[in-house]
Amino acid sequence: MSVSTSPRVANAVETISIEGKSPRQLAWQRFRGDRLAIFAAGVIATYVFIAAFAPVICAVLGISPYRLDGAALNDFGLPKGSFGGVSSEHWLGVEPGTGRDILARLMYGARVSLLVGFLGTLFTTSLGIVIGVISGYKRGKVDAVIGRITDLTLAFPSLLLIIALTRPLTQRLESMGVPEGNPARIVYIILVLGLFGWVYVARVVRGQTLSLREREFVEAARASGAGTRRIVFKELMPNLWAPIIVIVTLSLPGYVATESTLSFLGLGMLPPSASWGAMLGDSVRYYRADPTYLFIPGIALIVLVLAFNVVGDAVRDALDPKADRQSL
Amino acid sequence: MNMRRSIVAVSVALATSVIAASCGGSSSGGSGDGTPKKGGTINILSNAEQIAHLDPQRNYTGDDLAFAGSTIQRSLTTYKFAAGDAGSEVVGDLATDAGTASKDGKTWTFTLKDGVKFEDGSDITCADVAYGVSRTFATDVITDGPSYAMTYLNVEGEYPGPYKATAAQQAAYDKAVTCDGKTITFNLKSTVADFNYTTTLLAFSPVPKAKDTGEKYDMHPVASGPYKIESYEVGKSLVLVRNDQWSADTDTERKAYADSIVYNFGLDESAMDERLIADAAEDQTAVSAGILPENLQTIFEGGDKALTDRAVNYYDPFVTYTNLNVKSLSCIDVRKAIYLALDRDALRKAGGGPYTGDFADGFIKPALALDYKKATPVEGLHEDGTPNVEAAKAAMASAETNCPDVAAHAKAGLSFYYPDTDIWKKALAIWIDSMSKAGIKIKPEAVGDPAQYWPTVMNPETNYDIARGGWAPDWANASTVIPELFTTGGGFNLTRNADDPDYKAFETKIEEARNTLDRTEQGKKWQELNQFVVDHLWALPGTFTRAQSMWGSKVGGAFQWGPFGAFCYGNLWVK
Repeated sequence: MSVSTSPRVANAVETISIEGKSPRQLAWQRFRGDRLAIFAAGVIATYVFIAAFAPVICAVLGISPYRLDGAALNDFGLPKGSFGGVSSEHWLGVEPGTGRDILARLMYGARVSLLVGFLGTLFTTSLGIVIGVISGYKRGKVDAVIGRITDLTLAFPSLLLIIALTRPLTQRLESMGVPEGNPARIVYIILVLGLFGWVYVARVVRGQTLSLREREFVEAARASGAGTRRIVFKELMPNLWAPIIVIVTLSLPGYVATESTLSFLGLGMLPPSASWGAMLGDSVRYYRADPTYLFIPGIALIVLVLAFNVVGDAVRDALDPKADRQSL
Repeated sequence: MNMRRSIVAVSVALATSVIAASCGGSSSGGSGDGTPKKGGTINILSNAEQIAHLDPQRNYTGDDLAFAGSTIQRSLTTYKFAAGDAGSEVVGDLATDAGTASKDGKTWTFTLKDGVKFEDGSDITCADVAYGVSRTFATDVITDGPSYAMTYLNVEGEYPGPYKATAAQQAAYDKAVTCDGKTITFNLKSTVADFNYTTTLLAFSPVPKAKDTGEKYDMHPVASGPYKIESYEVGKSLVLVRNDQWSADTDTERKAYADSIVYNFGLDESAMDERLIADAAEDQTAVSAGILPENLQTIFEGGDKALTDRAVNYYDPFVTYTNLNVKSLSCIDVRKAIYLALDRDALRKAGGGPYTGDFADGFIKPALALDYKKATPVEGLHEDGTPNVEAAKAAMASAETNCPDVAAHAKAGLSFYYPDTDIWKKALAIWIDSMSKAGIKIKPEAVGDPAQYWPTVMNPETNYDIARGGWAPDWANASTVIPELFTTGGGFNLTRNADDPDYKAFETKIEEARNTLDRTEQGKKWQELNQFVVDHLWALPGTFTRAQSMWGSKVGGAFQWGPFGAFCYGNLWVK
């Protein structure tokens, strides 16, 4: 008998450990199982590390994003040597015309891209959550008004508007006390991203809130006398995180790309600051004389955006088992 | 006249006496083209949003003068429409000949040709010319133009131009510029031996008083040449069609081969080069002024002869330089620090190396042989264009003691106005990097539309510390360089140097030079004045420029017109 009980005991222990896992732990387990996602997350971590420590890395390597190197250029101002002037001094070559180190500019450019990406997402998401929850929870007139505003915002050709308003609005920001130049540009980009980006978050959050507020546990909380504040923060919010995290991971690469687009069009970071978009914009002119220069910022941007998308997909799969593509 | 594209530019080793002579080899497009024929459309590609000024009294940009002067407007005299040396010869245009001077050179008369008409069919009269010239004086409306009329004409008392003049003031003007039938007489303050060169400027072209719309005249000037404006849309295009009131019998220079000429605005600079290199059907009849540095190697040393034959690399009449605002940078130590710290070699490289030109020692190009003498550079300046950081730091250090206010201003940030183009973004990076080594900060201010750059910095309200400059003599006399660039009455003085303690002495010397009748003696005086400006660092010499242009395979007559360093647009023809 004693022999026969031992597997049962072991079984029981195992069952208990499975039951002890929260949905969050389950999601993490699923995410960890996705090796591609782990690799992509590693890539993102590397980018973040490089961006954060760009000045230190540049100092160690003895390069600078602003220092000119005329000796690396030929008479036409084009990089000497093959592959855009790749050398032991300049690992990824130099910028035509000025001889600035491309690797250093790439690393500094990552700072801008990631800063705009993260701050833009943070701002957009916060705005979206607040508006979405209010809209879904209050319903009625408030919901109707917010709904129309959402429709209107979605109807705006946002990129065109962002382009058209860059100069006047950055000047306005500068006159309002935001430091001139790049800080004003960054604040502007984040503001307009938020202005047009909140709708996507708000619509998802509103939908979720609408269905959640009718669920039994919310009814129960309300019946036992919980206030709006408690219901929103303790009952609704924990159930909203999953869709929000998915939106965040998927919108981040979009914002990184938007910043590059604006810089490409000459509306982003001001020269001489390094920015991937501005590098792309500059390098296009040299596609004939120095094609390497065109590929480098392009590849850096594609890899980052791709990594964010892979991670975003994996997070969605992990949080929403019903949509798990691996089990299909 | 001021310049349009490119950043830096050259010393001419074997320059001869006339401006255009420096443009040797510029005739490459003019020969071997076959016989010119009529018809077709010439397309001009431009990255500007519009032509800076089409109003004849406001037009002062080399390329625009060549364009308007060869198509829609006629002046009293003109340079011959020819390549090489011949292009600097002055002949009568609306006038029957190149003018007659009185013995003392203080009175000049021109007789208008018979049968010259405006586009509406009305005759061009002496009164129209006198009225046109009088517009120059209305400096509140007629901005950015040359100021020779005001400098030279002997108008008693103040004359505010035709819009605001009282009857007495207008009478004073009418005494200076008199009409007798078809003969117009200019009474000058002092001897001007080459006044008929002055009258080649469109500022001396007629404007019908009834059609003058003041500031708006810029958008639709009345045509006197073989072409008139059909439509003009800023940012899009300017379409010229034939003006049937123009008679070829009255014009020895304009051939008007093409049926229409279309100026295409707002194009991307690199797209312009790409289109001309590709030479697709529509672009075979296109021309564009200037080639981007990144394409120079492909075009000139890429081994494609057909491509090289469609382009020209020549010494143009321009000198590039940097204007310093002497009012805000009132301390010479700071100005010296800026010059010594500036990496002119890097700027030249960014513009295409030797293709941009040679380092300038002053503001007078060697092509003005009588007026040129190599200026002695500021002590410590490296002649190879590389910066002298140690000397710059030392200059800043002495500025700290001599003028702490100005030094503090330089450290806080000097506002640097630049046209927002790809090349200038690089030039800006070079400026920022060079200046930082001497502890000077640059505060960049971009001007969106490159064509609005000069109007922006010439606006007295614009508070720049540093602004670019590019200048070509209006004719072969440094009287069109030094006074224009550095006197308060000059047409292109961006240095704001009126309060410099030495300015009064400088102006006195200018008057002396102007009144020196012996041309060789006068040349020596210009040489001294050039040295004076170099020593005072009101502006920093950049390069004696070279320029490059390209045209489509079906464009004929694409020579560079010496005095302007531009195509002779009106005589281009379609093969």
